[in-house]
This record gives sequence, structure tokens and C-alpha cells, in this order.
Amino acid sequence: MNLRWSALSWSLALLLLGLLGVLGGTAVGSQGVEMWWLGSPDPVVQHIIWDIRLPRSLGAWLGGALLGLAGAVAQGLFRNPLADPYLLGSASGASLGVSLYVSLLGGSVMAVGWLPRLGMTGAAFGGAVLAVMVTLFLARGVQQTVRLLLAGVVVGVVLGALASLVALMSPQVMQAMQGFLLGSTAFIGWSACALMALALGVCLSGSWALSRVLDALTLGESTAQSLGVPLPQARLLLVGFLSLATGAAVAQMGLIAFVGLAAPHAVRSLVRCTHAGLLVLSAWMGAALLLMADVLARSLMAPQEMPVGVLTAILGGAYLLWRMNRIGAGRS
Amino acid sequence: MANEPDRRRSVMSLAIQACALKVALNGRSVLRGIDLRISAGRWTCVVGPNGAGKSTLLKALAGLLPVTGEVLWQGQSLANLSRQQRALQLSWLGQGESAALDLRVFDVVMLGRLPHQSWLAAPSAHDLAMVEAALKSTQAWAWCDRTLGELSGGERQRVLLARVLAGNAPLMLMDEPLANLDPPHQVDWLEQVLCLRSVSTTVVSVLHEIGMALHADDIVVMREGQVIHHGPAMDAQTHQAIEAVFERRIRIVPLQGQWLVLPRI
Amino acid sequence: MLERWMQLLILALSLALTCSAAQGITVWDDRQQAVVLAKPAQRIVSLLPSLTETVCALGQCAKLVGVDRYSNWPDSVKSLPRMGGGIDPNIESIVAQKPDLVLLAGSTRGIERLQSLGITVLSLEPRTHSDVKRAVLTIAQALGLTPTEGERVWREIDTGVETAVQSLSAQARLQRVYLEVSPTPYGASESSFMGETLLRMGVRNILPAALGPFPQINPEWVVRAQPDVILAGDSSRQSLLKRPGWAQLRAVQQDRICVFSQDQSDVVMRAGPRMAEGARWIAQCLNRTARGTP
Repeated sequence: MNLRWSALSWSLALLLLGLLGVLGGTAVGSQGVEMWWLGSPDPVVQHIIWDIRLPRSLGAWLGGALLGLAGAVAQGLFRNPLADPYLLGSASGASLGVSLYVSLLGGSVMAVGWLPRLGMTGAAFGGAVLAVMVTLFLARGVQQTVRLLLAGVVVGVVLGALASLVALMSPQVMQAMQGFLLGSTAFIGWSACALMALALGVCLSGSWALSRVLDALTLGESTAQSLGVPLPQARLLLVGFLSLATGAAVAQMGLIAFVGLAAPHAVRSLVRCTHAGLLVLSAWMGAALLLMADVLARSLMAPQEMPVGVLTAILGGAYLLWRMNRIGAGRS
Repeated sequence: MANEPDRRRSVMSLAIQACALKVALNGRSVLRGIDLRISAGRWTCVVGPNGAGKSTLLKALAGLLPVTGEVLWQGQSLANLSRQQRALQLSWLGQGESAALDLRVFDVVMLGRLPHQSWLAAPSAHDLAMVEAALKSTQAWAWCDRTLGELSGGERQRVLLARVLAGNAPLMLMDEPLANLDPPHQVDWLEQVLCLRSVSTTVVSVLHEIGMALHADDIVVMREGQVIHHGPAMDAQTHQAIEAVFERRIRIVPLQGQWLVLPRI
Repeated sequence: MLERWMQLLILALSLALTCSAAQGITVWDDRQQAVVLAKPAQRIVSLLPSLTETVCALGQCAKLVGVDRYSNWPDSVKSLPRMGGGIDPNIESIVAQKPDLVLLAGSTRGIERLQSLGITVLSLEPRTHSDVKRAVLTIAQALGLTPTEGERVWREIDTGVETAVQSLSAQARLQRVYLEVSPTPYGASESSFMGETLLRMGVRNILPAALGPFPQINPEWVVRAQPDVILAGDSSRQSLLKRPGWAQLRAVQQDRICVFSQDQSDVVMRAGPRMAEGARWIAQCLNRTARGTP
């Protein structure tokens, strides 16, 4: 790709792509692709478009943005190109939250009235946040990156095993977990969109303000410290933004792989910029990726829906494979 | 140590002073009680065998490690200086730390201006000028737009040096700055340091290349976490201390006004 | 004087409330939460096979406008549009059918989403015999049937089960049963739905209730327990003989194994109105194995 657009041009291009995707998403549904803007549809279809397809497409865009941003923050924070948003155990925490929620629901009539109100989203979000807190506790703060990574892996594996254990106890949990693990945008409504938009606003602006910290970190921890960067506080804040973004996305959509991993790589292959640009562009890129995958998932086998996680894995995996090939060819 | 150098040092201002400095890493004592006075505007080199604690000493002097004892810059204790103030006074070049393969050369050098910039502000014209000057002085200006990953080891080192120069701090601490540099560029670095010294920048470097180190003003000889000798590079006593710490496997001989390090075989 | 007015006001309010309540229908779901319907449901989407069967058992099949992909009885529902499954209901398809009532299990995803779109949702997940009775009566009420109608349908089912129980020979009742649900192996204990049917028949289950309804059992346990009869699905049958020690089981050697096909397993496993048929099938099987003929 020899286009040397600036970061700003790419930003606008990706936003435009997102807009087109959202519009396209409203045209795809249980009846296949229908161009509703040609001709006047009946009120039920209008209702479906405005209240189901539009928030769903917008939600896919917002969720993808959250995951893309989280991926860029994770890769910068841990200085590891293989880092993804689920690194600190948030995925397993969310799974455990969901499995506990479904198993408790399935028990005898609950005296605890708040549990149904919490909903699967609340359980997933709570689980993700708790997992990150356990990771931070085990790693005794954010000071040492290797310790943090190790603690994240441990927490992820242990909580994942616990979630499997809970699922084993009752088969209905296993089914619910399967659905959660595959990821879906089908249950996103306007309130979910509002929540994700709020999370995106907070995390994007906060991470952007700390983008210089991430730049300085690329030169090494000692060097970053010597440049006067308030490393402990900045790292804690960045971990906070990372977990908030991941938790918000996972709570609404389940576990969707590869978006957080592939988006920053895709951005870096297009344009060279500091983290200030990388964070924002990763968000727009992740949004466009997930949106396209979602529209494909809904239209490929209409009226059946493919789980969007399967498509992002295929698309993301194919892209990374292509990148690997190019890198290999370039070096030889 | 001779009396004259002592008096000289006490008359000039002290850039860095270490009092009873002790550092323990992973429960092991690395620096055992170091007292050091480094004068301002002079170039000091730290030499010694592997494992002597040179890098640790440099990090401790830069305030990047928790220490027992005191480190003073320009007479002020490090603990009393804010992070910003410390960053303005010191430029640090670490050993083999960087993984910034995706960052552009220009952005890397601009990071050296970080202490001078307010938090969210765009780089000022002065910043841009400093970056350009720094890149030109290390002959890296042509690679402005390339990423670090596209450069060879030596080229990368020159960019990182430029980052230190762009910071324009009165105190520069460099750990193995000649890594991967070929002879012409090693000489470039030498000239740059001499130029810095002429504008009263204090430079402290850890070097493995004794021959280069002997061009410095002062040499600190270390062994097993202690300072064995601290004196001018021209002094015979300093040369003897260096030969002794390397088990007399080398000898230092004069040649055309400079010093040569030869193996004793 | 003021007191008088207050009393009249309170009287008027309570009258109004009772009037409105009388016009609407209030039913209670599994979580003891009230679901209010303005009038009896006319367009129903069901996302749980046992609830689909309940609606049809009440003779209201015609009111179904959409079912999940696993509902397959009676044959007429096979031609209805499919709305996905319990873990992935297709929200759009459901809304497109304009239902005034959606029946689903509590563990179905997207309940809040449907409710936020203004759809009335009734969550019932029958897992015991009394659950089935409650489901029948609740759905009958939601469909606007008289209580006697609902009771009649339930009595039919209950009588059917009772008849099956009575049909067991004395010998059959003495047998100890192992019911396998899937080849992992997952078994059905006394606290499962089928376990309850077996309990009612007075037959002993080698898996006690303490293990939970569907424990993943160590095959060794079954060998130790030496059941007299094994009830298993078709897929289990293939792997039964390959398990170490199982070929020596009394039940295997004397071929006292009842295999149920996919259709039959739907009848036996689902906690729905066909439980009488399921009980009959189990009773026939147990009688057969007691007599010693395969």
C-alpha cells in the first residue's frame, strides 16, 4: 500500500467507512438485504429499522471502537505487539460472571430481587472488572510489566477453569456460555449504545491525554522515567481505561476475538504516527472491522445469523496471516 | 588521590554528589557505600570489569533506582526535586532498552523535548529547531520519516543519541553510548561530547572502550560495587588503577598526545 | 365533611383499579413477577419446545406465529417461521411477527431487549411435574381460557402418568435403573424430570438426588452400582460397550437396555404436556426388561 495519507485523512476515511457501514447495517436483517430507502415501508419495518437494526449497527461500531482502543492501549502499555484487550483476565472474569449469573438464575426462585435486574450485561461487566482487580492485587500494583502479564495469564486461566466448573454443574449454563463466548450484537439496544458511547468518550479522551506516556514507554521504562513521566499513576490510569473499555464491550456483546489485536496492526501498516494518532485510529479501525464483520454475519446466511466472533476470527486471522507473509517476504 | 585535584574539585561546583550510596537489587548488595563528587562542566567516564556495578551506579545517580544514602544534584537532594525538575536537568541514555520499532525517527527525538513541553501542547518552534539540530549533529536528519525498525543497530544508536542531545539538559548520563557504532561514528560521538563539555554540560558515561574513555577529563574506576579510584584521565595513578582493576592484562601507553590501550601478551 | 370526600375518593379509586385489573390478565412467571396482558394473547411466539407443546396441548396451536428451531411437535409447528434458539433468539424476526406474548425460559438471552422493545414476555421453564402443571395453568390463563379448561388439560396429563405408573408389573418396580442422557456420560438423577417420573413409579435410580439433576458421572460408579436396567439414547448405545468394565454389567449381558430414538428422547426428556406419553414409554420398557425379553 503506497498511500501515504496523513493520520487525519485516514481518520476521516475510517469514520466515513463506519457511517456507510451503519447505514448498510440497517438494510440487512432477517429478510436478507433490503434497500428500505427505495419505496415506503410499513410501520413494522420502520420500527425494526429504527429500534433494532440501527442501535445494533451503531452498537457494533461502538463496541469495535472500544475493543480497538483497548487493543492499542494494551500493546503500548505492555510493549508487546501480541497484546490484546483480554490480557489482564477480563475475558475469563466476564465468562465467570455470566456463568454464575445463569446458574444462580436457574436455581430455586431467587429471594435476591436485584439479581434479574443486574442482567447478563451487569454480571459480565462486574466479572471483568473484578478479574482485573484480582490481577492487580496479585501483581502488587502496576509497577512491573512482566509480573502484571503473568498475573493476568494466571487469573485468566484460573477464572476460566472456574467458569467451566460452574458450567459443568448445569447444562443450561453451558449453552448460555456458548452463546456468550461466540459474541453477538443481537441484544444491543439504545441504552446499551448510550453506555458504550459514554465509555468510549471517557476512555478515548483519557487515553489520548496519556498518549505521550505510551510514546515514552516505547523507549524503555528507565528512559520514560527519566523524561519525567509519572509512570505509576499513568500506568494505573491506563489499566483502568483498558479494563473499562474491555468490560463495557464484553458486557454488551460477549467475547469477540481479534478486533483488539488486529486493529492497531492494521493502523500501523497504513500510517506512521505516535500513540496520539494510533489510539484514535485504532478505535475507528476496530469499529469499522467489527461493523463490517457484523453486517457480513447477518447477511451471509440470512435469515440465519452467523456468530460475529467467528467472522472476526476468520477475517482477523486472514489479515494477520497476510501480514506475516509480507513481513517474511520483505525480510528475505 | 593527589591533593591538587581535590582542591580543584572543591573550588568548582559539584554537578553530582553521592553520599554513602548503597543499592541492593534482588536482595543482593550491588553498590556498597559509594562517595562520589563529580564536578560540573567536566566529562567523567566510569570504567571497570563486568559486574562491577557501573550501570547500577549510573542509574542511581540518575535517580532511577531506590537507594540508601543521598544523591545531590547541584547541591540539592534528589528527593526534594520534582519529577519535572529532574527531567529538565538530566538526559539519560540507557543500555539496550528500546523497543520503539514503530516510532518515526523524528518522533523519537521529539520525545527528548518532553520535559520542556506542557502536557497536551503541540511542539513549539524552538522544539522543532532543537530536534533538527540534534538530528543534524548525529547525521541522522535524512532519516526523519523512517521508523526505527528500518534502521540498522548503529543508525538506531545515533537517533537515540540525538534524542539525548535534543533534551539539552545540563547533565547527561549515558550507559554504553558507543554500542553498535562503527569507528567513524564513535569519533563523531567523541567530538560531540567534547563540544558539550565546552558549553559546560556535565557528561558522565559508562564505557567499555578504555581507549575512548581515556579522552575524558576524569575517570572513575570501579570494582565489586566500590569506587577504587577517581582521578584525572591524564594521571599516571589513574592509569595504574585501570591496569590493576583489569588484572594487569592491559597496558596504557602514550602515543602522539593521546593514550593507547594495548594487550599485555 | 372532608373525611366523607376522602372516603368517596378512596372508594372510587379502588373501584377503578379493580375494574382495570378485571379487564387485564395478570399471570405470574417463574420468578414470581407479575406479567400483565391487556387481553388474552392472540399472537404467540414460543422459544422453548415444552412451552410450544403446552400451547398446542391447550388446543391453541393456531395462535402460534413463531417458534424456536428446536420445537418439533406437533407437525403443524414445523411449518411455522423459526426464531432462532434459546441462546440466540433472532430479535428482529420476533418483532416482525408482532407478537403480543413471547414464551421463553428464564435463561434465554435477550429478555431485557425484548422487554425494552415493548414486547410482553412470560418466562417459564418447567423442570418438575409441578412446574408443568403451573405452566399449563399459567399459559391457559394468559390465553384467556377458563380455569376449568386448564385444569381439565392438566388432569388428562396427570391421569395419563398415573395410568402408566399403575401399569408397571410388580417385578418391573423392583428394578434399579440407570438413565443416561448423553455419552459423556451424563446421567439423570432422582432430582431431574425423568427422575421424578421414575420416583413416582416407585423405581429406584442409581443416581441419588444429591448429585444434582444431570451429573457427569464416573463410569466406574455405574459398574459398582450394577443397575438392572439401562435407559439410553441411540448415541450412547454405541459407546456403552466400549467402556471398560461395562461389557460385564448384568444389564448389558442380559440386554436389559432400552434405547430411545431422537423423537422418543424428546418425549421423555421434555418437561411438557407429553410427559404421560414419556411415562408410558418408560413403563413399557421396564415391563419388557422385567420379563426378560429384549
